[in-house]
Order: sequence, then structure tokens, then C-alpha cells
Amino acid sequence: MLSGDGKLVERCLQGDDAAWEAIVTSYGRRIYNLSYRYTGRRDESEDLTQEIFIRIYQNLKNFRMDAGSFQNWILKIARNLIIDHYRQTRRYQHAAGSEEMETMNLMDDRVPSPQRAAEQAEASRFLRDGLQALSPELKEAIILRDLEGMPYQEIAGLLNIPEGTVKSRINRGRIELAKLLVKRRAQAGIQV
Amino acid sequence: MNCQRFQENLTNYMDRSLPTQEMSQIAEHLYQCSNCSSLLDDVRSMLVTCKTLPPVELDLGLLERILLRTSGRPRTRTLRELLTLYVFRPMFTPRFAVGAALASLTLVFTVNWMLPHASSVSSALSPKEIFRQMDRGVQRIYSEGLKAYDKKNELQEQFTFFKNNVFNKLGFIIEQLDVPVEGKQDSGEPRQQQEKAPSDKSSMLLLPA
Repeated sequence: MLSGDGKLVERCLQGDDAAWEAIVTSYGRRIYNLSYRYTGRRDESEDLTQEIFIRIYQNLKNFRMDAGSFQNWILKIARNLIIDHYRQTRRYQHAAGSEEMETMNLMDDRVPSPQRAAEQAEASRFLRDGLQALSPELKEAIILRDLEGMPYQEIAGLLNIPEGTVKSRINRGRIELAKLLVKRRAQAGIQV
Repeated sequence: MNCQRFQENLTNYMDRSLPTQEMSQIAEHLYQCSNCSSLLDDVRSMLVTCKTLPPVELDLGLLERILLRTSGRPRTRTLRELLTLYVFRPMFTPRFAVGAALASLTLVFTVNWMLPHASSVSSALSPKEIFRQMDRGVQRIYSEGLKAYDKKNELQEQFTFFKNNVFNKLGFIIEQLDVPVEGKQDSGEPRQQQEKAPSDKSSMLLLPA
């Protein structure tokens, strides 16, 4: 008996556009967030998200339910494309003027006061800057675990590495990121 | 337990996945080492920031573009999105505000032109005026009732007079005809003498009231 995603894939392969729209709607936000965490730029994230879904659409017929969950399969494709994009561009740097725009885009409508919004925006900026300064492996581990909330086992399956290695990378990434944040706050004149 | 070993096990310590003895050793080390204690606090603070980081809002236009580039079909809009797009969003534009104001003014002038006595109609519909009209109606009905009653009495009197007159007249005529009645002799007197002395009562009754 096929799972929900499996049935959607079956219907997509039979030409059901509504099923494909359901897949895009279900995973679109997650893929976009993942791309944004990696790239730090909205425009690059949008392009990357489009490329990811185009690749998924073209390779739907290659998906096998017995090989793993559909979510994992999508995330693998997303990750591979993101890594390829990173290698091609070698730049996940923010332009000075665009930082504020990106920060504003991150603001949640539920933020109660402007001061709270500013503090949150500043913390977000520090976090993003710190992530960009990490090595790709550590950044990837932090994003998947602490930002996307994926369990260790799922990350291990996605990255095709042992669970112990995942934990080790997460551990090192957290320590490095925490030290970087302290350093940046100190540079910004904020007392910890 | 030293600082290096603590850092290697920091995530496991936070996940509480270490054996009890090792957890105690780390706790003791943290109590003694301010650097490691600060590091643990910094990592926790960083994780809190990660958790409170809001998700990036996805532009629905991006989904639209993805669908057009893949299946070639645009995104199915929900009823709420359609209402927002074609009803609510246009309402909050200056163009709509100006149009609504002009339409309202046009309606007011049209109504005023077609109903010149609108103000008198509106005052006629006030509760005070309605009560006054009701009171007037009741009074009119009462006075009409009184008139009808008087009329009825008048007619009754006339009918009584008429009735009495007709019967008396008939009685008088019958007496004048001198119809022999059983057991009574004919007086032989001429009829004229009898006609000359009509009874006072009948003449009085013939006169109108």
C-alpha cells in the first residue's frame, strides 16, 4: 500500500497536474527555506528552488518507494543542487545594502514591537553571518539539525554518512558558531 | 574530564545521551571551569536563536513560476485567494475609495431629486407623528359613531311617529266609513255631520312634530 507521497508520485506519473501542484505546495516552503539558509540571499534561493523542483519533476520516474521516503529523495536532490551551486558560485556573501532588505523580509508579522523586531533581526543577521563563515560540512549539519529540525538518522541518510559523523559535525559546528557569535556581538559592541 | 573532552561531548551532554557517571563528571567540570561553562551557555543561546529564527516567507509567485515551468499549468487559487485578489485587495486602493465616494454622492443626489418631499416623508414616519395620526383616527371614529347614534335615534322617532299616524288615520277612516259592526244599530245620521267633528286626537297626530 502506497503512502500519501507515493500515491501523489503515482498520479504525477500518470499526468495528474493537481498531484504535482500538491507536491510543490507541500515541499515548496521547506526547499525554499533550505536554499535560503544555505545561500542567505532571496533571489538566489528562488532560482535555486526553481531548479530543484524542475530537477525533481524531470526525475520523478526514477523515484522508488523501496529506496527510501519521498521526502529524503527530494532533500537529496535539493542538497546536491545546493552544493553544486555553491561550488560554482563560491560566494555566499551578503552585499552590504542587501542585508537590511533580507532582514526585513525575515520579519514575522507576529513580532509585538519594533524594538523586539530589531533585536530579532540583528540576532538573525549575526546567525546568518556566522553560518556563512563555517565550512560547508559544518554549516550543512547545523542547518539540517538546528534550523530544519531533522533527526540525526535522517541527516545521516540524506548525507550518506554515519550517524556518529553527523553528531560530530553538529558538535563542532555548534561550538564554532557559538564562538563566532560571541565574537561578532563583541565587535558590534553588544554585551553578552 | 578536561576541556577538550567536554567539548567533544558537548552535544551528547545537551542531549543527555551520556551515561550517568560521565554526565556527573561533566557537571563537575562545568562547576569548576568558567570557560567551558560560558561555552555551554553560548551554545544554548545560539540554539535558542536558531529556534526563534522565523521561517522565510515563501512568495506564492515562486510556486506559480515553478508550476508553469514544470507542468505548464498555473497554480489553483483557493476561494480565499480569489476573494483577496479580486475583492478585498481592490477595495483598499485610492481608486476604489474615490469611486465609492462618487457613487455615494450620485445616489444621494438622485434620491434627493426623485423624492423632493423626502424630508416630509421622513418626518411623517417619526413615532410622534405616527401617534398623532393614530389619535386623530380614533377621535374621528368616535365622532362618527356618535353621529350614527344620533341619526339612529332620529330615525327611530320618525318611524314611531309615522307608525302611530298611519294606524290612527286608518282607524279614523274606518270609523268614517261607518261599517256596520255586528251588534250595533245604524244611527241614520248623514255622514257629513260625522265628518264635521273629527276627533282632536287625530288632528293633533296629523300635525308634524
